[in-house]
Amino acid sequence: MTSISHTLSTHGWWIVSRSSGIVAFVLITVSVMLGLTMAGKPVRDPQFAKNLRAVHEQTAIAGLVAIGIHGLGLLLDPWLKPGVSGIAIPFTLGPHTFWTGLGVIAGYLAMLLGLSFYLRRQIGARLWRKAHRATIVVYVLGLFHALGAGSDTGSMIFLGFAVATAVPIAILFVYRLGATRRNSERRRAGVRERARATSRALYDTV
Amino acid sequence: MTTPRPRAVVIGSLSLFVVLFVVLTFEISANASTSKGTPKAKTTVKARPAPTEAQTDAPEPERQSEYAEPEEAGSEYVEPESEYIEPEPEYEEPAYEEPEYVDPEVEEIPPVVTSSS
Repeated sequence: MTSISHTLSTHGWWIVSRSSGIVAFVLITVSVMLGLTMAGKPVRDPQFAKNLRAVHEQTAIAGLVAIGIHGLGLLLDPWLKPGVSGIAIPFTLGPHTFWTGLGVIAGYLAMLLGLSFYLRRQIGARLWRKAHRATIVVYVLGLFHALGAGSDTGSMIFLGFAVATAVPIAILFVYRLGATRRNSERRRAGVRERARATSRALYDTV
Repeated sequence: MTTPRPRAVVIGSLSLFVVLFVVLTFEISANASTSKGTPKAKTTVKARPAPTEAQTDAPEPERQSEYAEPEEAGSEYVEPESEYIEPEPEYEEPAYEEPEYVDPEVEEIPPVVTSSS
């Protein structure tokens, strides 16, 4: 019988990479879900919103750490031997070159969009908010990467989790798009109302 | 109501990681033992052979022949019929005529007489 120690010596880093990949996917999924929930503003309670934001940030950071461990595990895997270029350059690592490439891009985007939160004063809150909306792309790329290149796509637990989270994320995303449109319409109506009031005041003074 | 601390997320993530690590390790070990040392692709593991107990002692796995052994020639082989017809020789040897022997005429030359003193 193959011993556990032998499995760990030959497959240890690969198991680390697989486990951290699943953890990263779960954390990013939860973070994206919370972010979309916050953006849609379904609850007006400020304390609840504050708590949601705290968990959103914590899961995002933990997800980034898990993505880093996922890449490191692949890099140290003695069987795959991807090299730094295989990990860092998209579409260079086989055998699932395309799906692995999507994962590399998702990792870069996650780092860029996630860590930009701490630079929002430098880059401007408005620009940051616009860029942060693209985080949904990280989730979509990560989902395709996991389904295409993941070793656990055949697992019913993983598939169940992916479907169970993809559906609410899609609903929340549509709700958020609607909320954004409603907000901009409200803002435009406010501007129009203010302009009308100003012109009326001017007319009265004249 | 207080703001949730990051400890909960860290502990939750680490717990999930450890559980997955243990489950995957046991799964791979079990798959390797059921495959009896043959480097066979598993259903859950893509593009990676299962670990073998002792790769040096393991018997050489029988490779599934991916190419068909060529069938012995001759069963369906039909030798093409020879279309070559040997041409008949057109060369006719000329009839040999025996030459008539004519004795050459010898001219008699008179002997030269020399005077000697």
